[in-house]
Amino acid sequence: MEIKTTTDGTRLTIAVSGRVDTVTAPELAAALNFGDATCVVIDLADVPYMSSAGLRLLLSSHKTMIGKGGELQIANAQEAVREVLDITGFSDILNLV
Amino acid sequence: MTFALSKFRSFLPAATFAMAAEFLMGLSDSVICGHILGETGLSAVNLMQGVFEIVTFVGMMVTVGTSVLFATELGALHVRRAQGYFTLGTVSAVAFGLLTAAVLAVVRTPVIVAFGASPSVSEMAASYWLWFLPAATLQPIAFFLGTMCYTDGDARLSFCSYLAQLLGNCLLSVPLTLAYGAAGCAVGTGLGSLAAIVVLLFHFRSKGCMLGWSRHFIFSDILKISSKSFGDASKNIGKAALMFALNAYVIAKFGSEMLPVLAVVVMTIGISEMFDGVANAAQPLASVYMGEKNPLLTRRVMHAALVTALVEGGGIMLLLLAFPGLMLSLVGIDSPVTVSEARLAVRVVSVALPSLALMLLFNSYYVFIGREKLSSVLTLLAVFGLPITLYPVFGSFCGAHGVWAALALAPALALGLVALYVLACGGRSRFPFLLSKDREAALRVFDLELDPAAICGASAAVGAHLRTHGVEGRRASKAALLVEETLMVVHDHNSGKRIKAEVTVDLNDGLMLVLRDDGVIFNITDVDARVSSLRSYLVSNLMTAIPVRRNLTTTGFNRNVFKL
Repeated sequence: MEIKTTTDGTRLTIAVSGRVDTVTAPELAAALNFGDATCVVIDLADVPYMSSAGLRLLLSSHKTMIGKGGELQIANAQEAVREVLDITGFSDILNLV
Repeated sequence: MTFALSKFRSFLPAATFAMAAEFLMGLSDSVICGHILGETGLSAVNLMQGVFEIVTFVGMMVTVGTSVLFATELGALHVRRAQGYFTLGTVSAVAFGLLTAAVLAVVRTPVIVAFGASPSVSEMAASYWLWFLPAATLQPIAFFLGTMCYTDGDARLSFCSYLAQLLGNCLLSVPLTLAYGAAGCAVGTGLGSLAAIVVLLFHFRSKGCMLGWSRHFIFSDILKISSKSFGDASKNIGKAALMFALNAYVIAKFGSEMLPVLAVVVMTIGISEMFDGVANAAQPLASVYMGEKNPLLTRRVMHAALVTALVEGGGIMLLLLAFPGLMLSLVGIDSPVTVSEARLAVRVVSVALPSLALMLLFNSYYVFIGREKLSSVLTLLAVFGLPITLYPVFGSFCGAHGVWAALALAPALALGLVALYVLACGGRSRFPFLLSKDREAALRVFDLELDPAAICGASAAVGAHLRTHGVEGRRASKAALLVEETLMVVHDHNSGKRIKAEVTVDLNDGLMLVLRDDGVIFNITDVDARVSSLRSYLVSNLMTAIPVRRNLTTTGFNRNVFKL
């Protein structure tokens, strides 16, 4: 898995590439350090697969950002990942762009 | 070690012990009569070998087919149909048991007279035969219920029933023989069978019991059971015929004094019954794999069974070549002339054990794959056709030694002839299992021991395999997700245990995933299962999104089938 982070003022973009599963999720969890960002974008354009371990991270990130009055956006989710979000109803909770 | 091999090995001890118990049961009457009533008693029981084989034949005629069809129907997820076969089998076991006893009662006197044995041996055999009739009714029922209980995954209770039968038989037969002679021994045998039936009835109270009776009486299904059974059962009818002929031949040619030696020869060959445990251990898995039309896994199980059969047969052969006296001490033979001849006879016939082990395995296997005729030909050649042709020829040149040599040579010759036929019909690529390779290109099996890294690896491999075989990305990812999430749930349910799992991807008829594991039994496809984590929530929602899914736990492992 590769994780690239770019900051533009208070906007933090985290671009993830590769599978997000039970084994790789801890690596992503370690990278989800939002600092002072008020808008966090997790770019899933290069994530072909995500399991419940990844969903858990998205949900906890969403809660963190809501808690500090910020916003979390999930960008460019592939069809397979979007389906997982739909099956679990997460697409109604998370801000998909 | 793969899941299939691990399950086969876990089934093997119980299956082998069950067959060993059956062998010991057959042996027990010879041992008891030999020790208590002397060589006359041993000879009298040996005259009954043909009758024992007929009773076993009757039991197998209803049991083998029912057990194969029951497991195959469950493999194809047809539970009601499987129970229909069980119902038919039960009715047939009782009916044929009663019929056998009636026929044996009618033919008793003429058959014993025809043997032409000495008056003391004939009298004892007649007495034993008469009191064996209740056992002739009960044994097929006990055998049927024991095998079905085993096929239904309750190997422990099945083994307990064999133990009850063996212990009941021995504990009762000894005092009864001391009090009433050979007749008492036969009564003890019947009571042992009754004890086994009582133990087996407890299976119907167990939670996972899939055996059940339903209204099902289709004549063609009885024929189906019989035809499936005949391949395996034919060895017993062949052995029965051989035993009647061989006893008469030995008495006529060498006198009743040679009967104790023949009894030891028959016992040595009878050890091969234990090797049937190998086929029985392979059957629950092989039948399910056959039901799934998976030649890849069927071959994997049968290859392991073949190696095991050779090791078992070869091991016991070496043991008896080194220590032939073991067999003699069992039945208490001590006269010097008989001891000398019997030791040589044991050494000669023990050479047949590896080929008998293979013969029994293929006898059962060819029934699994629907080649009942081939199975029957192999068996009848090995246990009847070739021995009955060879022993008069060898006997006329070399006397009794020639007879034993003929019995040792026959199974190997039969295997050779059938191997040539299989090679000619199926070619080298299908030898010796005769499995079609047509479906294999679209089949892939992933084996793993459950831990997060292995599960994620298997999930990724399944996804990659599907994409390279033209499955669209969305479906491939869904399949990969299913593998990871369900196996992680299984892993979480079995914390601290080493769990083996097997993932089969079958693209022959759409996309089918079969997930097997040997962890605690639970139904992962249950959409109403308690949701205790995000993972179980996702699995529950996935189950709702997959309309075709089934869970089956009948043979002691979890099997989840999904069509995507």
